[in-house]
Amino acid sequence: MSRRHFLGASAGALALGGLLSRAAAEEMRKREKQVLFVWLDGGISQLESWDPKPNTTFGGPFRSIPTSVPGVHFSELMPRLAKQMHRLCVVRSLSTKDNAHSSGVERIQRGDPKTRGVPYPYFGSAVAKLMGAGASQLPPYVWIKPGSGGFKPEEAGFLGPKYGALAFGDGQPPENLLRHPSLTAEEDDERNELRARLNARFAAHRAPAFTEANSYVFDTARELMKRAEIFDTTKLPAADVERYGRHDLGQHLLIARRMLEAGVRFVKVTSYGWDTHGDNFNGHASLVPKFDQAFSAILEDLAATGQLDHTLVIAMSEFGRTPRVNGHAGRDHFPEAWSLAMAGCGVRKGVVVGETNEQGTWVKSDGYDIGSLFHTWFAALGIDSVGDEYENNGQPLPIAHEEMNPIKEALA
Amino acid sequence: MNSAWVTAHSPVLTKSLAIFIRSAAVTLAVAWSAYGAESLPRQIDGWIAAKAGAQAIAPQADDAEFLRRAWLDFAGDIPGAGQVRAFLADGSADKRARLIGELIDAPRFAERLADALNVMLMERRGDDAEWRAYLVESCRARKPWNVMAREILSPDYLDAKQRGAGFFTTKRLNKVGQQTVDYPGLTRDAARMFLGVDLQCAQCHNHLTVKGYKQADFNGLFVAFQNATLQKAVDAHATPWVSEGAVSARYDFVSVLTGVKGQTGPRVPFGEELAIPDLKGDDQWEVKPDKKTKQPGTPKFRPLREIAVRVATKDNPWFVRNIANRVWWLLMGRGLVEPLDLHHAANPPSHPELLDLLASELVAHDFDLRWLIRELALTQTYQRSSRLPAGVKPAPEELFAVAKERPLSAEQLARAFLHATGEWDRVSANPKASVSDDAKRYALGDLEAAFRAAFANAPKEPELTVNPTLCSALFLRNGEHVLWALKPRAGNLVERLAALPDAAQVADELYLSILTRLPADDERAEIAALLEKNAADRPRAIGRCAWALLSSAEFFSNH
Repeated sequence: MSRRHFLGASAGALALGGLLSRAAAEEMRKREKQVLFVWLDGGISQLESWDPKPNTTFGGPFRSIPTSVPGVHFSELMPRLAKQMHRLCVVRSLSTKDNAHSSGVERIQRGDPKTRGVPYPYFGSAVAKLMGAGASQLPPYVWIKPGSGGFKPEEAGFLGPKYGALAFGDGQPPENLLRHPSLTAEEDDERNELRARLNARFAAHRAPAFTEANSYVFDTARELMKRAEIFDTTKLPAADVERYGRHDLGQHLLIARRMLEAGVRFVKVTSYGWDTHGDNFNGHASLVPKFDQAFSAILEDLAATGQLDHTLVIAMSEFGRTPRVNGHAGRDHFPEAWSLAMAGCGVRKGVVVGETNEQGTWVKSDGYDIGSLFHTWFAALGIDSVGDEYENNGQPLPIAHEEMNPIKEALA
Repeated sequence: MNSAWVTAHSPVLTKSLAIFIRSAAVTLAVAWSAYGAESLPRQIDGWIAAKAGAQAIAPQADDAEFLRRAWLDFAGDIPGAGQVRAFLADGSADKRARLIGELIDAPRFAERLADALNVMLMERRGDDAEWRAYLVESCRARKPWNVMAREILSPDYLDAKQRGAGFFTTKRLNKVGQQTVDYPGLTRDAARMFLGVDLQCAQCHNHLTVKGYKQADFNGLFVAFQNATLQKAVDAHATPWVSEGAVSARYDFVSVLTGVKGQTGPRVPFGEELAIPDLKGDDQWEVKPDKKTKQPGTPKFRPLREIAVRVATKDNPWFVRNIANRVWWLLMGRGLVEPLDLHHAANPPSHPELLDLLASELVAHDFDLRWLIRELALTQTYQRSSRLPAGVKPAPEELFAVAKERPLSAEQLARAFLHATGEWDRVSANPKASVSDDAKRYALGDLEAAFRAAFANAPKEPELTVNPTLCSALFLRNGEHVLWALKPRAGNLVERLAALPDAAQVADELYLSILTRLPADDERAEIAALLEKNAADRPRAIGRCAWALLSSAEFFSNH
């Protein structure tokens, strides 16, 4: 089924509302494509993770270990992920442009399109716009992160705040999500029904847009409140808590799994602190095992339930780290030759795309900029990255860099 | 022209007749205005009726709808139940004109206009006490718009009465984190706000779709802004301020599309380029910069000052049409030119003669915005209902045949909410919030900030419309501020209504206090049924009814 066809079908189902049985809606939801986007902010070192270069000038102190795919090696800091390699697609030939965090994070997450004087949406907002909320009716773009939460409209760029991220700061739900303790569910329903009747009377003989917009957000709020248990972090299963790890990234990926199960279209999980300009090796010895534990746990879980088949999983940073070790035993920003990992929906399993030279200082094969990755991800999700366009004030805008192409070897 | 005549006959007008009437209107308008016979509001209605042609026009709003609209527009607030009753009971023929006069002449009007100008000019970038004081004081003094615009673009920062105006520029030049100072953004905004043209695309090349927007138009303005530097508040300067550097050469630019090179000195878009005086070295300075004391100095030739004077003048048709169009938008919810910042030859106004008329009248009245607002408020166009008669199809918006629903701003909402719930007096008299004392739970600033956080657009988003968000829905449903105001408390709405014996009375007071109208019979019955069902806890049930009214699309709409 084409994406348009499918979107059309699900929109029709939503419009029919009550005519669709709950079970059928649930079935439809389970087939919808979703995305898990893990963002390692500051820049994970490719040399201490996906592309180790042991016993070379810049290789660092860690050894490499074999993975579940013969001939492919990871850093020894990732023993659990090594056992997941048969599910992964690792790209070792990223070659991007920006080596500053402030602009690099944006540039990567916006897909670095050609400058058009308007801010492009981040990947999550793009997917929210192009694929919609789907049958779950939950907010399409949820972001789980340490620090502050709330509504992050700026990530939507010119698409407008509606497509921004709903952020769970420290994994906590947004303000006012839970029904106020002074109200019973019946009282809450009663007052909402009165509001809905008032709106219906007001809308009669008026242009519908105003009241529809007002009702839409109340309906979304209602759906979100109904599913509040997904967001209740005190009720996470104890065994999973241990398996994912008692650290931010572990807990946040566990919450992410529950959100994906509930049908959220796009979940971003951010981990901070990867910018190891000083003491890179101790830093990565501490950080990478946490990522290894949590990311391998969620891959296993998604695979076990079959959800991985329709979930595109991506783990990446804004750039990699320099092979050269600086005077503080650190590695600096390095966009020239670095790696990321993908899995799931539409992506080939157990492959490595591209390679760097012996010392990891440049890409030997074709280098891929972020624009190619956006094409690849859209293709994996069944979106026509060339034919589909955004529209901004009447101006058609491409959804991915028009001079780049998908990475064919990465696509199933 | 008699607009009632046009309205009555327009369904049978042929196109040529309509054109005849329009040209007749020009002749007659000129003739009548010479004798003072045809008022501006009637002329405006004439142009609107002529274009609407056979389109059915909504009837005039009823008294309640008009009352609420006028209060929201001119006081940024809603009237109390008593004021609604009095207005509905008033049988005099001139009560609408009197109300408009009273609201516009009240001190509160200056604050409301300042709020609207602030949102328009700053697009939610942040607040500043001196900026606000400048706007309020200027609106109160009926300062002509051209003078205000000049001061906003290039104030005398040493004048305590003017320096607040500089916030428009200083806020935009403020460096945030690692981002570079956004001079192109400031240039763009100045042209958008004061000339109604978005020249952003013309920064790097001539505009691709708008013929008249040339790269030289952007860069002539850019030269003046790029030459400005943000300075800290030190010594004689009580606020951050902007210094100008010495300019000795024209600015070079290249089209990224064609590679064609260009040069320009400071220049108002579409205007004459200013000659850069032939001065060298020390001669360039009125006050020389001092490296020791880090004084930036004052050049003899100040491009920004020169540009400000030439932007904001009656001789600049872009400037005049822009403000006429923006004031029209403020009251009608749609500009005669849309988008507001895309005036150009291929995007003419919906009513060209009308925009010309408003522009020339505004100049004749010395750019007095209060005068123009009053004239617009007196039109039938402004006073139309937002409801179409049953069976009539909605007309294209640009015909202004039906009043357009406009969302309330966060400022209007906060005030209207506090007055409707009867908490205004308590909250505005409370200097400091106290978590432990229910009666002092919130100060006015906390509530205003909470409403802004929930309902205002994101920074840098033009707030031409406000889209309801999930954040705002959750704030209304579960937010502490809202639920606090709906608990019975001495003198507030819920406490007052809980003491009324009769359910019909409760319904009347709820609707009058919150929606500025009386309920219909079925609405009265609906409230009565809810109260009967919840007889055991009447105050809480009244609180829930009030909540439903306050959360409704009707409350959120200036309809």
